[in-house]
Amino acid sequence: MSLARNAGAARPAELDGPLLRVDDLRMYFPITEGLVFEHHVGDVRAVDGVSFELRRGETLGLVGESGCGKSTTGRAIVRLYRPTSGRIEFDGVDITTLGGDQLRRMRRRMQMVFQDPYSSLNPRMNVAGIVGEPLEIHKIGTPHERRERVRELLGVVGLNPEFGVRYPHEFSGGQRQRIGVARALAVNPELIVADEPISALDVSIQAQIINLLERLQDKLGLTYLFIAHDLSVVRHISDRTAVMYLGRIVELAPSRDLNQAPLHPYTVALLSAIPIPDPAVESRRRRIILRGDVPSPANPPSGCRFHTRCWLRERLGNPERCTVEDPQLRELSAGHAVACHFAEEVDGSPEQRQSAGQGGASAAVAPSWAPAGNPRSAAPAAQGA
Amino acid sequence: MALLEVRDLVVRFRTHDGTIYAVNGITFNLEAGETLGLVGESGCGKSVTNLAIMRLLPKPAGRIERGSVTLDGVNLVALPEADVREMRGRDVAMIFQDPMTSLNPVLTIEEQMVETIVAHRAASRAEARKRAVELLGMVGIPHPETRLRSYPHQFSGGMRQRVMIAMALALEPKLLIADEPTTALDVTIQAQVLELLQDLTARLGTAVLLITHDLGVVAGMAERINVMYAGFIVETAPTPELFARPSHPYTVGLLHSIPRVDADEGGELVPIEGVPPDQRRAPVGCPFAPRCAWRVEACWTDNPPLVPLEPVSTVVATGPGATHQIACHNPPLPEEARTGRPTRPGFVAAPPPDAVFDELAVAAPDLEGTLVEFPTNDAREGRR
Repeated sequence: MSLARNAGAARPAELDGPLLRVDDLRMYFPITEGLVFEHHVGDVRAVDGVSFELRRGETLGLVGESGCGKSTTGRAIVRLYRPTSGRIEFDGVDITTLGGDQLRRMRRRMQMVFQDPYSSLNPRMNVAGIVGEPLEIHKIGTPHERRERVRELLGVVGLNPEFGVRYPHEFSGGQRQRIGVARALAVNPELIVADEPISALDVSIQAQIINLLERLQDKLGLTYLFIAHDLSVVRHISDRTAVMYLGRIVELAPSRDLNQAPLHPYTVALLSAIPIPDPAVESRRRRIILRGDVPSPANPPSGCRFHTRCWLRERLGNPERCTVEDPQLRELSAGHAVACHFAEEVDGSPEQRQSAGQGGASAAVAPSWAPAGNPRSAAPAAQGA
Repeated sequence: MALLEVRDLVVRFRTHDGTIYAVNGITFNLEAGETLGLVGESGCGKSVTNLAIMRLLPKPAGRIERGSVTLDGVNLVALPEADVREMRGRDVAMIFQDPMTSLNPVLTIEEQMVETIVAHRAASRAEARKRAVELLGMVGIPHPETRLRSYPHQFSGGMRQRVMIAMALALEPKLLIADEPTTALDVTIQAQVLELLQDLTARLGTAVLLITHDLGVVAGMAERINVMYAGFIVETAPTPELFARPSHPYTVGLLHSIPRVDADEGGELVPIEGVPPDQRRAPVGCPFAPRCAWRVEACWTDNPPLVPLEPVSTVVATGPGATHQIACHNPPLPEEARTGRPTRPGFVAAPPPDAVFDELAVAAPDLEGTLVEFPTNDAREGRR
């Protein structure tokens, strides 16, 4: 057996190109009427024109609220769905319409970790069976080698290798999620699509899984597409973050930029809505309360999809452009793209500075428990500006 | 006399699997108009505490074994069932995590709201209906007259939670128990609902017992916080004090387990290792000891009582000047609370006295052993 391929894989990314390229991906689900003669009356446009690249070894966070299409995007990428249109390129190969054997071989290189560790593990299989199943499907190794591999994988994710004989119900949520991670790692994938991998877990367990994923990435050179609704978690683990709203990416930026200087009115509102576990910060923050609910993706608003709830549009006296013209993603600074006609108005606004709680006058006061290695206390005030 | 006084409350469940030690003797007070946060993870007993106060424990499994719950001087534990029904809604109302399961799906909002109001107030249906319209308007539901005739499924999650809040506040109760009221909602909707809840309860002078796992939510909402673990209150303090000086290893661990959106760089998270205890076992020693980095030998055998962090002449139970109390034999130093790890030279967490460790406990990931690559059949496939 050779050494890990991935471990030493410090291939120069520039030469290789992105690991994944998604171009104008659309995923529509048909709405039909009629019991006997079904006819097509419309579409739920879950994903409606999403484009991004994923570099080797990086983590891209995909964040948004329920129904924004983030999970559908993830599933379309590992080809659990056949996209309506658009193009998905994995390592230079177009996988948008691959099928059968070719698709199976591609899937060895991309694996998924699911949100709910209670429903994503077969209750009738023991842990060794669950973790070893991908090896069997891909006909990798002899039965003996597979057993050894499973023991090794369990150790890697922090479980006792002897637990292979146990069944999922004997484990807690966090331990089940470790099993899910071990299963994803079994076939030595390059890309892992993690769809809300910690949302179902208790707070004290979430950090265990985040740290595990981070360590595995360092060790194995994995590339992650990390899908979550929680911007603070996404920002913690991701190099870059894409914010989705109603089937579109509305902002894509290095995570640090996105948090300190968000440029899309939706991102600003999303950040400001996240409660911060620090009463001093909470008391001086002004929260942007968006009115109403997310519109239906079966019938998205005209022009900018966010215009029905946008605080900036109201501020600017409801310009007609927002309701008529669909804003495209445009790069405002290096690597920071935003889909808003008036993003320049957001930059430098008090809302932008307030959003992540960094704006206020006493921003230099660090909470006593600020995470280790966090230079927050030394940081100058009002960085967001 | 405080509005709500919980004294030495013990709740156990008798199941086929044996006894579950859900709440193990907790004591706290809640003043009229005060907002108290009850924070902890699944299984810590926060929701069972709520059900015990409402006398809604599942029967016959769940029982209040000991202690008292006094609301406005009336001991609810001993109250006859008919009086309990009167009390619910009128004196104490609650909102749950999932409004879809707490609203009746086959009745319109009107029927449900009018029923509640008529049942408790000697009001005619027409009066009750007028009040319902008023309440829906108050919680920010557009066109309340028409929406009153809608069914629960015709509302979005956030709107359903608004309806729940309107129903809960219909009779202007003295105490509102909100059990994870925004956990099922998206973060922008959560912000709407929290703001509404804060406004209305402040306006009506309602006391709130806010049960949540989210430290961010309590930081902005609650005046005082009880941190619960395995059926015990392990730390209690006014909110600013708790966050400025977290002193129980569990509280410190929780604060280091969540990435903060306002931190400059993603500092490393310090997780709490292991898993919560199996509550089918009677608690021996400190319940947090198996996961605690600060444990000393006594932690395995003696469960520390909740005592003031610093010596005080009298313990203040409620209000912004409430005494900071913790249940810990070896509290982290302020510097250790900042880093999330014990830093005293030479300190090592006391090993378990015998093999009482949960055998399923998670080991540290074994990343030193290199993950080997498997012999693959790519070559064979290539030949095809």
